[in-house]
Amino acid sequence: MLKVNSASLVYQDQGRDLFACREVSLEVRENEFLGILGPSGSGKSSLLYLMSGLKTPSSGQITFDGKPLSGMDDASRANLRLKEFGFVFQQPYLLGYLSAIENVLVAQPSGGTIESATDLLTNLGLANKLHRLPHELSGGERQRVCVARALMGNPRVIFADEPTASLDHKNGVAVVNLLNDLRGKGALVMVTHDPTMLERADRIVRLVDGHISEPD
Amino acid sequence: MSVRSVDPPAAKTSTGRRVLTRPLAATTYLLRNAGKSIPLTAVIVLAVMLVAGIISMINSIPLSIRVIYNYSREFTGITPRGDAAKTQPILDEIKKKSPIPIERIIVCRTTATVVQSIVGKWPFYIAGLEQNDLQYYLDRQGSKSLEGRLPAAGKPEAVISRPVAQNLGLKLGSELLGPEKDDGFSPNSVKVVGIADTERWVMLTSIEYLQDFHFPPIDIGILCAPTPAEQSKLDLWAEKYFKGRPVAVLAYHQVEKDTNDMFATLYQILNVVIGTLVLVITTMMGMLMNIYQSQRLVEFGLLQALGYTKKQLLSRVVIETVLVVVFGWLLGLVAAYGLLNVAKRTLMDPKAFALNVLDPVAYAYSIPLPIAILIVAIATVVLRFRKFDPIGVVERRIV
Ligand SMILES: Nc1ncnc2c1ncn2[C@@H]1O[C@H](COP(=O)(O)OP(=O)(O)OP(=O)(O)O)[C@@H](O)[C@H]1O
Ligand SMILES: [Mg+2]
Repeated sequence: MLKVNSASLVYQDQGRDLFACREVSLEVRENEFLGILGPSGSGKSSLLYLMSGLKTPSSGQITFDGKPLSGMDDASRANLRLKEFGFVFQQPYLLGYLSAIENVLVAQPSGGTIESATDLLTNLGLANKLHRLPHELSGGERQRVCVARALMGNPRVIFADEPTASLDHKNGVAVVNLLNDLRGKGALVMVTHDPTMLERADRIVRLVDGHISEPD
Repeated sequence: MSVRSVDPPAAKTSTGRRVLTRPLAATTYLLRNAGKSIPLTAVIVLAVMLVAGIISMINSIPLSIRVIYNYSREFTGITPRGDAAKTQPILDEIKKKSPIPIERIIVCRTTATVVQSIVGKWPFYIAGLEQNDLQYYLDRQGSKSLEGRLPAAGKPEAVISRPVAQNLGLKLGSELLGPEKDDGFSPNSVKVVGIADTERWVMLTSIEYLQDFHFPPIDIGILCAPTPAEQSKLDLWAEKYFKGRPVAVLAYHQVEKDTNDMFATLYQILNVVIGTLVLVITTMMGMLMNIYQSQRLVEFGLLQALGYTKKQLLSRVVIETVLVVVFGWLLGLVAAYGLLNVAKRTLMDPKAFALNVLDPVAYAYSIPLPIAILIVAIATVVLRFRKFDPIGVVERRIV
């Protein structure tokens, strides 16, 4: 479904080329939980940005359903992110002036999905905190709202970039399990440096210095 | 597209609480961040109120001049120069030569006193008329009724109009002119015996009294045309006809012109002041907007990462800005109107000073404010968005 073909992402570092990703090739398959494991600075986030169309590869190609992301204009790429992708970031970013449920609805701008947002938050154990503002929630609760937002609208790929980084281990595992349990037919791509978070992953690829160390 | 909608539709959850189904509607941010939108609006309100208020007050000065001397719309004044005996021959000549019909020719004498204005004393003429001209003159000045009576021939008596009575604080029996008065001297104490109910400023006495006790001994001709249009034509004709001759023609449009000339420089200064004020306020608003929008970079980065386009976010910010600025401007106009009404009632009306609380020029002067603020605010946001990278937010490289 989502294919990375020999994609590289190069940054300029004092005149020298710095490869955040070097000729990475991999495929995200329908409905799988793909773990990407690597130490800090190995290029995990960079790879995720390439796959989700937030960054354009310096060379190589990313295709979704056979269509190259680089061939799309900004608006179509944005629309792809809105409709087909879901995101959970390292930090639980929420809009401070919106309640939990309204933050979830932001991911589904066509409206009319209050029931699904309520269901998601209920499944995430936030049934009695739907109307809390972010500053009235704990860090773990905020990240669970972010999980609900990522799952809203049944995206086909959910990207999670160290979603557990701001949580303790127990809460981290809980969030990953919830993501995995509630993703429905969507594929989950999660990057982390912590292998214990990937216990339920269908597949794990290792990233070292921007390169996939073991072919999958 | 949801982010463009202005009015957030709301629905209820099973728990019965209101939820915005379109949480990114422009009004949501403004209403839920009142701590930011209220000061922004307040600055605009105050600025608009200040500009409209200052202009209205300044405009009230030339307006007062026009209002006070409005009585001269009703006639064309004719005075001989150099030879006091020439009045009657000139009037006879006009009767014969005028192509414009003349309803009545009044012969009068005048003496001067002063009225009060917000910028000090202004000269005002008391006309002495013959008995059968007094009522005609009052009617012509729009008098609806007369409290008291008309001045008797040769007696130290005067009739004044309501605004004059208010302005000078006079009642029936009060002294209008007198031997002790520097500004309105007369060897006898001239008492108010009548107050005419008209908006026009009028002071009348009998011609006989002025002939007996006042200088200069020059009769003035007052030519009254049947209609205002014909009066204007008569003004122009008389000015042209007597050009180069020792005859002074007094017409209302000269008052207009003199007033405009008198205030031309003041208005130039005012334009510079208002221009500077707009500049200062716009810069301030630009800086405020810049700060507020900077505080929202995480929001913009997050939304972009989630799949909103820069264009959508930009149009949302533009709608928010337009709402604040237009609302602030309208509220400012209402506030200015309220403030001017209070000023009119407490400061101006008691002295019959003119003030137009709905002065279109004053309100028009406030228009550059919202426009300039809008341009600066939108330019600020556009510049910010141009080099804006959502990754930076997600990676916490910018805050
Ligand atoms: N904007 C940039 N300019 C230059 N170099 C960059 C930039 N962003 C990332 N890099 C470099 O690219 C490499 C990969 O960065 P990336 O953020 O993808 O790592 P990561 O695996 O996500 O690390 P972490 O686990 O710490 O988040 C790093 O060496 C980093 O210094
Ligand atoms: Mg990272």
